[in-house]
Amino acid sequence: MVETRRQAVVLLATLVLLLVLPALATAVGMPYLLTLGSQVVIYAIAAASLDLLIGYAGLPSFGHAGFFGLGAYVVGILAFHAADQSRFLGLVGGATQAWIVWPAAIGVCALAALATGALSLRTAGVSFIMITLAFAQMLYFLFVALKIYGGTDGLGFDSRNTLPGIDPSSDTEFYYICVMALVLVLGVFRFLVRSRFGMVLEGLRQNERRMAAIGLASYRVRLVAFTIAGAGAGLAGALDANLLRYVSPDALHWTMSGDLLVMVVLGGVGSLYGAFYGAVAFVGLQSLLSQWTEHWMIVLGPILVGVVLLARRGLWGVLAGASDGGADGGGGAR
Amino acid sequence: MSALLEARGLIKRFGGLVASAGLSLDIAEGEVHALIGPNGAGKTTAIGQLAGEMRPDAGSIRFAGQEITRLPVQRRTRLGLTRSFQVTSIFPHFTAVENVMTVLLVRSGRVFRFFAAARRETTLREEARAMLARVGLEARGDVVAEDLAHGEQRLLELAMALATGARLLLLDEPMAGLGPLESQAMTRTLGGLKGRVTMLLVEHDMQAVFALADRVSVLVSGKVIASGEPAAIRADPLVREAYLGEDS
Amino acid sequence: MTLLAEQLLNGLQLGVMLFLMAAGLTLVFGIMGLINLAHGSFFMIGAFAAAWVANRTGSFLLALPAGLAASAASGVVVEIAVIRHLYARSHMDQVLATFGLIMFFDELMAILFGRTPLLASVPRFLGGSVDIVPGVPYPVFRLAIIVVGIAVAVALWWLIGRTRLGMLVRAGATNRDMVRALGVDIALLYTAVFGLGAMLAGLAGLLTGPLLSVQVGMGDSILITTFVVIVVGGVGSVRGALAGAMLVGMVDTLARAYLPTLLQGMMQASTADQLAGGLSSMAVFILMAVVLLVRPRGLFPAHG
Repeated sequence: MVETRRQAVVLLATLVLLLVLPALATAVGMPYLLTLGSQVVIYAIAAASLDLLIGYAGLPSFGHAGFFGLGAYVVGILAFHAADQSRFLGLVGGATQAWIVWPAAIGVCALAALATGALSLRTAGVSFIMITLAFAQMLYFLFVALKIYGGTDGLGFDSRNTLPGIDPSSDTEFYYICVMALVLVLGVFRFLVRSRFGMVLEGLRQNERRMAAIGLASYRVRLVAFTIAGAGAGLAGALDANLLRYVSPDALHWTMSGDLLVMVVLGGVGSLYGAFYGAVAFVGLQSLLSQWTEHWMIVLGPILVGVVLLARRGLWGVLAGASDGGADGGGGAR
Repeated sequence: MSALLEARGLIKRFGGLVASAGLSLDIAEGEVHALIGPNGAGKTTAIGQLAGEMRPDAGSIRFAGQEITRLPVQRRTRLGLTRSFQVTSIFPHFTAVENVMTVLLVRSGRVFRFFAAARRETTLREEARAMLARVGLEARGDVVAEDLAHGEQRLLELAMALATGARLLLLDEPMAGLGPLESQAMTRTLGGLKGRVTMLLVEHDMQAVFALADRVSVLVSGKVIASGEPAAIRADPLVREAYLGEDS
Repeated sequence: MTLLAEQLLNGLQLGVMLFLMAAGLTLVFGIMGLINLAHGSFFMIGAFAAAWVANRTGSFLLALPAGLAASAASGVVVEIAVIRHLYARSHMDQVLATFGLIMFFDELMAILFGRTPLLASVPRFLGGSVDIVPGVPYPVFRLAIIVVGIAVAVALWWLIGRTRLGMLVRAGATNRDMVRALGVDIALLYTAVFGLGAMLAGLAGLLTGPLLSVQVGMGDSILITTFVVIVVGGVGSVRGALAGAMLVGMVDTLARAYLPTLLQGMMQASTADQLAGGLSSMAVFILMAVVLLVRPRGLFPAHG
């Protein structure tokens, strides 16, 4: 999958647009566009990691918010303990430097994905959907019950994680960090799906029985993919907590998993870059509809049903021509 | 005689149906061994058990001197025992070369490489092209597999089976659904592989069976009722009655 | 000891409720191969319709059929409008489209009834309590739920095991093409099964209404517990759904009842409370993880 000329043009135009967005937001006098932009970019990272599972590994996960929210909580909890000089479980002190906190979030989520994936991947198809959903919901209940970290009210903190040479309170600077993270993640994933590992993963999705017949132990390959995707969602969650300076169990709620799924499908399953356009469409649709009516979900719901039933290619396919991942709709079929 | 594969007393039941009723089979190194029998004789079940997709209720299977009755499919493949499928089983969205490359890189065991672009690995690609050449598909390497003609897809499958480094190929009706010309091409290709790889051939096409096989075993009601050279099998009155009689 | 009897009954009652939900969901999956997230919406619709009618008329005997009819009718409409176009699609598509349906129904209920919980009261003739063991009173209404649940389980067993519809359902679960070959109107059969599943969910909802509060989103959390039930019991198997529902109902109830006291014996009261709160709501998921470790296909897998 080398990008076609048209795909390269679309990607480049998108990147330019992303880079000038802060200036644009100031120029048109709509500073909230910047926050919206950060939100889109963060969701895009989470959705891209979910697409790695659905579109490339053929694993229909419905619990991706579990890792997203967990990543956010790592930031929140470390900030909480840093603020009052206490220790997490009496062991680990707090931290506010990004170079400690963000890798910690990624690592914790990778471990969580490794553990839940090891169990979930013992099943397939519809059981896999239900089990990933259930594990994420388990985390949700855990954080609802943890009153020390705010329970349902969530956990707020005063300032973003610090990076040397960067003003954490500047929304513009934080936005650019998010964009960099997105470019980095998409770059890594692009290598990943083209590597030996990616080729095997895709072969597994196309024909699992054949893969077994040629001697692949598919379980380990899928577990590695699941772990990588969990780590990606963890990074997105960590950024999200920084953006809002707040984390609550809502970030882990199963509807969040659903929203991420919607972004993947809107953008185009198995298209890698599509996740970003899906996130744009989802956040855009949500903010437009919610300006129009408080009951925006009654419109978004049927739109979603319509998209599933009628549109097959996703936005990336429409914008940039045929999808390059070789994905054909959902990877959920058994 | 040293058998590459020895199946002894395989029994497999599905509810009340007995698909393998004490099936025993010897396949010698280097031979093409045909397994024939009427529909419902249990040929597919037999292959399934040999390949490791089904576990026999009783009996044992040895391959190259090693007990494999309880090994899963992928372990058997690594030992050199590979099957093809009755229904074509390939990676439909990969090109022919990529199909074979996938097999080769799984075989290499180096699956967890995350950065170098797999499709640009020239040694892998060259080796895959060589495999395609062995089945006469060298000119079709860059065609997406689902766009290949049916006969070409079967040949691709064969190339993939060879690429696993198989010592024994379990060929489940390789001629199924092929036209007469395609069948002849497949027969020629299999004939060209003869001697280099051992084959168990399950096939309805009697012309192909008698053209290729060194030995033939006849399966009726889950049991091998006769086993021998093609001419002897053709002459065996028991076989004629139970099976060949229907056709001739 | 007396408390234990009460908690066991509570567990049984929750199990019965979960079975009503799981039976429909697992039938629909077993027969049509469809995963339906919107199953919780029928639970909610049944509860809302019954509570509304009961509040208007004061009669539970009118509310009951209203709840059943509303949920069954929405099931039939949804099947015809959306679901039947999803049978041939991937599970991911099914998840997404039915996720869209949840949004729609949650918002629809919010528009019709508002976001403040609706009050549903226990019908007067089922009010009060009786002594299950001398000196231990237990609410009659909860007993009635248990009885209804057992009756439904028996009726389902009869329907699936003894009737022509059931025969088709069983045949359809193992071999869809065979049922088609029998010349049965598959579309009608599917609509009927889906409607039945929706009605059972509605029944669970309207019975739960007086115990919890009737509000938007009430179907969502029970849906996820129902998924746990199905995974534990074995996807597609009604027997598994029954076993899974009882197990999950018991584990959930007993964990909530006894974990706090158990943990208080081991540590500080405030820590114990927090930990117990977290652990008891996670108990059923831990149960699921254990079952997956031992039997990845659930306790009673549907297909050999």
